[in-house]
Amino acid sequence: MNDAQGHNKHGPGLTRRQFLKGSGATAAATALATAPVPAFAGAAEEEEKAERAVGMGPGPVKLQLNVNGKTLDTSVEPRVTLLDALRNYLDVTGCKRVCDRGTCGACTVMLDGKTVYSCTTLALEAQGKAIKTAEGLAPDFPAGAIDPVPAAFVKHDAQQCGFCTPGFVVSMRAALDKNPDATPAEVEEGLSGNICRCGTYEQMRHTIAALCKAERKEG
Amino acid sequence: MATAWPEKRRLIGKKHSRLDGPDKSTGHAKYSFDVNRPGMLHAKILRSPYAHAKIKSIDTAAAEKMPGVKAVQVITGPGKEVFYAGDEVLALAADTEEHLLDALRAVKVEYEVLDHLVKEEDALKATDKKTTPGGRKNNLSVGEEFTRGNVEAAYKSAAAVVEGQYGVPTICHQCLESHGLVAEWQGDRLTVWCSTQATEYTAQLLAQHFKVPVTQVQCITHFMGGGFGSKFGPDIQGITAAELAKKAGAPVKLMLDREEEVTVGGNRPSAYGTVKMAATKDGKITAYEVDCFGTPGVGNSPTVNLQMMPYVYDLGDVIPNIKRKHTVVRLNAGAARAMRAPGHPQNCFLTDCAVDDLAAKLGMDPLEMRLKNLPANSTEAAKDAALSFAAMRGDIFAKEMEIAARLSKWKDKWHPPGAGQGVVKHGIGMALHTWGGQASPQPNDCTVTINRDGSVTAQTSTQDLGTGQRTVTALVIAEVLGLEQKDVTLKFGESQYGRSSGSGGSTTCPSQAPATLRAAVAARDELFDKVAPKLGAKKEDLAIEPGKVVDKAGGKSWSWKEVCARLGMDQAKGQGTWTYAMSTQDDNKGVSNNGVGGVQVAEVAVDTETGVVRCTRVVAVQDCGLVVNKQGCESQVAGGVIMAVNYALFEERIMDRHTGRQVNPDMEFYKLGGIEDMPHITVHMHDMPERGVIGIGEPPTISTCAAIGNAVFNAIGARVPFAPFTPARVLAALATKGGKG
Repeated sequence: MNDAQGHNKHGPGLTRRQFLKGSGATAAATALATAPVPAFAGAAEEEEKAERAVGMGPGPVKLQLNVNGKTLDTSVEPRVTLLDALRNYLDVTGCKRVCDRGTCGACTVMLDGKTVYSCTTLALEAQGKAIKTAEGLAPDFPAGAIDPVPAAFVKHDAQQCGFCTPGFVVSMRAALDKNPDATPAEVEEGLSGNICRCGTYEQMRHTIAALCKAERKEG
Repeated sequence: MATAWPEKRRLIGKKHSRLDGPDKSTGHAKYSFDVNRPGMLHAKILRSPYAHAKIKSIDTAAAEKMPGVKAVQVITGPGKEVFYAGDEVLALAADTEEHLLDALRAVKVEYEVLDHLVKEEDALKATDKKTTPGGRKNNLSVGEEFTRGNVEAAYKSAAAVVEGQYGVPTICHQCLESHGLVAEWQGDRLTVWCSTQATEYTAQLLAQHFKVPVTQVQCITHFMGGGFGSKFGPDIQGITAAELAKKAGAPVKLMLDREEEVTVGGNRPSAYGTVKMAATKDGKITAYEVDCFGTPGVGNSPTVNLQMMPYVYDLGDVIPNIKRKHTVVRLNAGAARAMRAPGHPQNCFLTDCAVDDLAAKLGMDPLEMRLKNLPANSTEAAKDAALSFAAMRGDIFAKEMEIAARLSKWKDKWHPPGAGQGVVKHGIGMALHTWGGQASPQPNDCTVTINRDGSVTAQTSTQDLGTGQRTVTALVIAEVLGLEQKDVTLKFGESQYGRSSGSGGSTTCPSQAPATLRAAVAARDELFDKVAPKLGAKKEDLAIEPGKVVDKAGGKSWSWKEVCARLGMDQAKGQGTWTYAMSTQDDNKGVSNNGVGGVQVAEVAVDTETGVVRCTRVVAVQDCGLVVNKQGCESQVAGGVIMAVNYALFEERIMDRHTGRQVNPDMEFYKLGGIEDMPHITVHMHDMPERGVIGIGEPPTISTCAAIGNAVFNAIGARVPFAPFTPARVLAALATKGGKG
């Protein structure tokens, strides 16, 4: 929903934020529940958050991230991306910085189960969400079991230099989570935002074929 | 000591998963880019925005006062010239990347902007202008013309002559892990975690620069995110990082960003040329003429391998009439670096495409034409080197052609050029390649230690770029000692672990696998020496079987652990070394070798309305002597094919004549295919174990582009002269033949 719609619904000269504030919808959840336009409850929360963020920076602010089930604390300038917060401030380096502008997918992580390019996501936006990186698919590494997706990458040799691999693994895991009955073509579509330079796509197809079969059996 | 591969091979030649696979696929592998040292600073280089300029002044006063800035290093000072957009000016180190970027923006550099040339065609015309370094009068080096026979006379007597333009663009390595390193000093000792294809060489160059003994420099490369020929030595950015670390008294990380990686990190030079070729009516090539040019940017390297033009078909110098000329065009652009089979993809394109055009003119199936022109076995070479490539090349290519034709169903699928019906036309094409892949002339070491608890450790300074070398090392040791790969603990990729050469020219496996073999055999023999008396056996009667040692005379056997326990407080150690010279000794024949062939067939679907080319299938037949890890070899071949599908369809460094800068120093406008853009690939390893180990990294990426070019020609009946075969170029080619294909 964009601002133009907000304007139209609530009359000229009044922004959505002003309207929500004027209607008594403060940050308190109880107030939101009684707001005159319930559909806007979530939006109001977002607006309030956005408003709070205006006062942040440019110096470092506290950042708390939930990464692979662990709570990690640091402080970063508000302009720091999720990728840089993970790599430079929290030493979580499975997500790689390659193109750094949302093209290659090497930085792919899951936010609440959905894949994002962490290089084009601000670290502050990821607060309160469950962040999963490739490391989260083998939490006790080198001991313990590893998730079937990275295990299949190993078995079918769908990796060479390996720098793109964690991004591909996360994308493939997410595609199969979203649809455990996904066909190989659908999984390939789920990988269309990732680029490999060594040329592991053929072996990745073998991986996908094996996983689609395996995932179906489990289902 | 004579060296030989075990006659019965339990592990070698079969498919094995790579040892470091789990580390990589779960994101736990630590690359140089991932190394975060306590108190580490970040560094970045300020680069010239101009393609050619003189630096008038540099003012870092404001930048040095910015928060977090710890050190400054001027690389190109006032009064000096910078020669391309991206050339290094200075570097800063700061506590965070955010502070670093702010501070770089505060540096003031005044430039006197000078003339530049960034397009080959412009530089070829500007014969009175020099914009690149060196003592020439212009940007051109026109090579001497080479002639054999008389091409003009051959054209007159030929049944068919074709002449055409062919060319491939400059492409960038686009290593996903960019170039760079982390540098840390402890007193006079320097440790670098460097993304390099040469740990030992990198340590040597840093030691030379800082005038310290090489033993005081350690280069660590445990994991490496792609090099493809572009990562030898510390480069300017590595030396700069170490200088900054010294000044700041803190570790410094300097990894190039994507724009830097693309503009500075290396490229494969372009090659464009006019090719003329003639043949008899039964398809025997009688003449080949080429006049070509290409650019190494500000570098000096040639851009084709001129002595090998025409390509495979002239091995043994059999084509009677040849004329060739090459011009190196220097431009104000990043320097070329070796890229996966330097010169060969260009040679292949400027040969194999003309072969198909000539076959079309003769009305021949291009496969038949190639069969008529395959190089012959050299009877001379066969006399004292029966397993050499020269002695076997005719047989190798003939066999690989046969396999490729069968796997691709060539006989069913080939049709005369442009003969297909419908809007989306099918095409099939073929090309051939060759490469060396011998052991390095420099010594490569491996050390194997057997401990009393049965554990085995091996150490080597060589690096695994993703080629699977780590797995090969463990595999060879496990084969010799009757163990599994997982039983071998590797100390790998650190310069202090012995001598090794850079991983270039597909030389690592043929250097390292034999060194490992010798080390493992020596360790085994020392084990037998030491334990035979304690086992009550003669050492010459002891032999390894899977998981155990047997006394062939006494009939007894002991588990591996039992035997190793007899070492007591001792251990058994073996060291192995290998060089190219050793590989040529009579008692070492068949351990490693040189020279491979390869045949690739590509199929395409060309939409004649939109001009879009899809490569749908590639069959790649490849030999590399003794296959050590079949899985690793197949991955290398498929990877080479995929890299070259990008070369054929997507990649091109595009320079802007006015600003002198690259238009697409990124990954969105510099196109690289994703999984959905890629063909299905059938890899066939033509195993020839008797030849010994030969490198595999480079050859499979050579002929794919030409094979796709020929497939497009076969589909539409018109030659698309220049790669990448973009829709615009395909439509233009269709237009030249008056409409749809």
